[in-house]
Amino acid sequence: MSQLSRKCVPFTPFDRELGRATIAIVTAAGVHRKDQPPFNIADELGDLSFRVIGSDTQANDLMVTHHHYDHADADRDINVVFPIDALRQLAAEGVIGGEAREHVGYMGYTMQLKRMYDETAPQIAEEVDKRSRADAVILTGG
Amino acid sequence: MQREIEMRGIPTVLITVSPEVSKQMRPPRAMYPRGFKIGNSLGRPEMADLHKRVLRDALSLLAGPAHPGEIIEFEYPEYGAEE
Repeated sequence: MSQLSRKCVPFTPFDRELGRATIAIVTAAGVHRKDQPPFNIADELGDLSFRVIGSDTQANDLMVTHHHYDHADADRDINVVFPIDALRQLAAEGVIGGEAREHVGYMGYTMQLKRMYDETAPQIAEEVDKRSRADAVILTGG
Repeated sequence: MQREIEMRGIPTVLITVSPEVSKQMRPPRAMYPRGFKIGNSLGRPEMADLHKRVLRDALSLLAGPAHPGEIIEFEYPEYGAEE
């Protein structure tokens, strides 16, 4: 595949009704389920792994492991970085068609940008595409 | 990350609280809730109505006119100033 210029903006048109679309959240804020291994914040290079957060997850099943932002607010209410309750409310109100099967959390701080782009990013995109089956994705940083 | 998902044919919207950094990434769609600090992408804890509004506004960029590479600012006075 030819090299994508950094000046180029990939753009996929959204050609369906929002009220019939399923939405997934992908967050770099270090969100994961409490029953999953935490991100390794002792790794100075930055943990490149990601966690799949299923649609059966409740807000208080989640936590944050991240050492590059103050996540005291997220510890109180995960929705400030991972709006799962807000998403479900919008689904209940018919604003969106529904919640996707899975969401993804990763730890966006890394000294290994190239590996994150070459390895983690395609893996997350694959997860979203093949297993989450989302029609559109909301991304949050933190 | 966002570009990779978009290239798979899945439309995306970024909610950023670091617009200067995000702009360099050339996001296909992005919004910035003005004044929200890092760690508060959707607002402050327990502001459920605000979280919903911010999310809804982010989703509205999917259907609206395209501004690839740009960060659209939104105002939410209820977020309030720094304590």
